[in-house]
Amino acid sequence: MTLAAEFHLDVGGFSLDAQLTLEDGVLVLFGPSGAGKSLTVAALAGLVRPRSGSIRLGDRLLFDAAAGIDVATHLRRVGYVPQHHSLFPFLSVRDNVAFGLPRARRRTDPGVDRLIGELGLTDLADARPASLSGGERQRVALARALAVEPSLLLLDEPFASIDQAGRRALRAVLADALRAHGIPAVLVTHDADEAVELGTRAVIYERGRTVRSGAPRDVIGGRRYTLRGTLRPDGTLEGARLEGDLDGLPEDVELTFC
Amino acid sequence: MSTEFFPVALTLRVATLALVLTTPIGLALAWVQARRRYRGRSLVDGLILLPLVLPPSVVGFFLVVLLGRRGLIGGWLDAALGVRLVFTPTAAVIASALVALPLLVKTVQPAFEAVPVELEHVGRTLGLSPLHVFLRVTAPLAWRGILAGLVLAYARAAGEFGATLMFAGNIPGLTNTMPLEIFAAYQAGDDPRAFLYVAVLTVFSVVVVVAAARLGPRVELR
Repeated sequence: MTLAAEFHLDVGGFSLDAQLTLEDGVLVLFGPSGAGKSLTVAALAGLVRPRSGSIRLGDRLLFDAAAGIDVATHLRRVGYVPQHHSLFPFLSVRDNVAFGLPRARRRTDPGVDRLIGELGLTDLADARPASLSGGERQRVALARALAVEPSLLLLDEPFASIDQAGRRALRAVLADALRAHGIPAVLVTHDADEAVELGTRAVIYERGRTVRSGAPRDVIGGRRYTLRGTLRPDGTLEGARLEGDLDGLPEDVELTFC
Repeated sequence: MSTEFFPVALTLRVATLALVLTTPIGLALAWVQARRRYRGRSLVDGLILLPLVLPPSVVGFFLVVLLGRRGLIGGWLDAALGVRLVFTPTAAVIASALVALPLLVKTVQPAFEAVPVELEHVGRTLGLSPLHVFLRVTAPLAWRGILAGLVLAYARAAGEFGATLMFAGNIPGLTNTMPLEIFAAYQAGDDPRAFLYVAVLTVFSVVVVVAAARLGPRVELR
């Protein structure tokens, strides 16, 4: 088991009960805003302290309330890509990527330029964050997180402030990078397509609780239906039959396809 | 040293040492107030402002009560270490540091608040200890506010009068800083001497205010 976390925390009147497990790949935290997804990420990073429970990453115990264990954020080796304000504005792209390396390696580590190339940022290496697009910024943030070779990547809605075209491109870049580096990741999103495309497993959040988990295709989007029949040239569907959980559906059903 | 120049040199020395004393405390308080939510936070906010709001003579009185020879802490210092603070240049430094503190905290705090907390979080996940996050993330983004706070605190320390008079006294050749010297010269009818220090402090303060205004407590984000 790569990640196994189960904890309860209270922050400013909001309480969260989370239960997460991830064997390998990408764990998607899915649900509406304010359901506790970002707070979960903060707890995994050690930025907020749960009241009870435990967080285990690989063979390291990062947090255990009962045993009094709480590994400090800077010792957890988790990479973090936030939704906004992800880059240090006073540093170039290259210096942002090298930020987490020891001083002696910051200028010389070949891994920095390799990552910059891998994420398609070579031409922007000397640029300042202010001149980058939203998608480019998040690629830099991803490269910076990967540069220190973390044991887990935390991606808190990394696509939130990016336009549709940029999202698709970044999604592919992210999927490639995660595969190439083999680093397990936790991805916060409320986009079902994103969850299904990137996730190997998904956890559904509702009002401060994780309510179910499983393969993204199975647990996201609620009930799934199949309409079977023979389509005639005039548009009628002969022997049409709707399969799936019919409980609670109205008598007059209208289906729309794209 | 000539008796004219002594108060100028003393004032600069007292203000510099006061800044050295108040800076670590002030930056730490500004950071805690900007970043931490805890019970009693607004009470602490009020206490920080107190030296700014209280009449300086009241601040001086409290200092004498606490650090005077029979004071709560001063009595112990005298008995245990043989250290006497009242009527020394050190007392002037302490008084100046205390009245400069609110100005420092209240100028720097908004600059810290304007630093996106996400960037500090990113810094920590990249392996930086809290001190290094401050040095490599917070300070580079808030340096204008920090510098403006230091400049204002320095000016306030250099201009300190009431609390210094109560706690350090006005001893020629020992604790007679420029503000005290102005008062003494004026009372003695030596207007030219008073005017000398009035001019020095006025020019000094104008320079400081202009510098602080140009720095401004804003944060460079882009």
